[in-house]
Amino acid sequence: MHVHDDPDVESAELAVRLVGGDREALAEMYRRWSPLVHTIALRALGTREDAEDVVQQVFVAAWRGRATLRPDRGSPAAWLVGITKHRVADVRTQRYRAHRNLQALASEVVTEPTTTHDSDWAERLLLVHELERMGDPRATVLRMAFIEDRTHDDIARMLQMPLGTVKSHVRRGLLELRDRLKEVERVASD
Amino acid sequence: MSHPTDDELVDLALGEPVDASRSAHVEECAVCSASVEQLRRTLRLASGPLAYAGWQAPDDAVWARVTAQIDAEPDAPVDAGPPPATMAGPDAGPDAGPAPTPPETPLPRDERPSGTDAADRPDRPDRPANPTGPAATAGTAYPPEPVPADATVTPITAGAARATRRRAAAWGAALVAASLVVGLLAGRAIWSPNESGSVSQVALKTLDTRQREGEASVVRAGDGLDLNVVTDRPLDAGDGYLEVWLINADGKRMVSVGVLRPGETGTFPISQALIDQGYVVVDISKEQFDDKPAHSGDSLLRGQLPA
Repeated sequence: MHVHDDPDVESAELAVRLVGGDREALAEMYRRWSPLVHTIALRALGTREDAEDVVQQVFVAAWRGRATLRPDRGSPAAWLVGITKHRVADVRTQRYRAHRNLQALASEVVTEPTTTHDSDWAERLLLVHELERMGDPRATVLRMAFIEDRTHDDIARMLQMPLGTVKSHVRRGLLELRDRLKEVERVASD
Repeated sequence: MSHPTDDELVDLALGEPVDASRSAHVEECAVCSASVEQLRRTLRLASGPLAYAGWQAPDDAVWARVTAQIDAEPDAPVDAGPPPATMAGPDAGPDAGPAPTPPETPLPRDERPSGTDAADRPDRPDRPANPTGPAATAGTAYPPEPVPADATVTPITAGAARATRRRAAAWGAALVAASLVVGLLAGRAIWSPNESGSVSQVALKTLDTRQREGEASVVRAGDGLDLNVVTDRPLDAGDGYLEVWLINADGKRMVSVGVLRPGETGTFPISQALIDQGYVVVDISKEQFDDKPAHSGDSLLRGQLPA
């Protein structure tokens, strides 16, 4: 375990600076979150070329639409993921159209695009990212509770932590993750 | 009956024992049951083994494509040097120029991050960046505040990251605290035609609700310029004091022009050079007596002088 600087404060600070038009904030956000955006896009689209296009689009859109970022909604990561979902959907639509045009030329039946469509990938990867980013001991408690599916008693014993503290970390942590997903939804459904 | 607390909803989602009357309420209440369902979904998404191979960073060239595309667009911030009069003001979008565009124009559809129109895909890298863009003019900068030489080009380097952190430190934690409360929609400029051609003015608005609560004007005063700042009613400085700033439109640099006494008109000598270099955003902040010369981040009113 190691102690982090408070990542929430840093992230909120970045958000504020981006909204204020600070290009360096965009650069810092790119440094932190382009792997998250790229991995989601790669998962969803399958090719590096398309995934990197999406990364480009997401960060350009983030810059142009920076006024829609809400620093009070926590880390900009969720906001970026919401934008990413939009862009991934755009690429899929374009692929579908291209596919349909080819199909039409060949007078064949139009079918759904072939890419596997797991719409939850973006959210899952965001939560993985959030758990990685979250400071200990909360991150460890949440990993043990959610991913290893251990009971709160187990966790309290293994981490030598009062049961009430474990429960409190689980509650706060789950609420925090829920808020991240709500932010994705807010942006993606806009 | 009142709604259960967040903690109780979490316990329900986790299947922990909860008071029977509370769970009965949740079954009846659409808001609460939606909330529990949301928490369960979060739990599902966060749980279980993730077939996950690790983060994959995009190619380094992608960042260059991002900056090239941003620089090629009219919205691109101008880092230094007097912007040509025909160009839209940096940063404030298409409505910052002298053209009589309504100041409150929302972002064009294709500039919203959420646009689903397939037509707004970005340019591919084969589109050349504007050669007169920020990179070309950065050399003319002579900022009044020390700014690292690499700061204007925002490369993804350790140096930039350090500079970013230094700057972050300067803006400070107070900035975060304050800005979480106050939204950051800055007041937009209004263009006021005038006979002498020497005066520009802007409404100063609250950052969150964009309520007009004051006005700033630039007037000729002898050889130089004066910045006059007046508020419609006295601003609350709390335990601290009010400070007036000119923030550069690039959002990176600012200078303090003086202290404003609540309820009074402030007159501050400034220079044409400042305006020419892009220091056009008038900002009134609440500062504490904390020996920190930097902006507290607690901006009360703001407005961008017309180009």
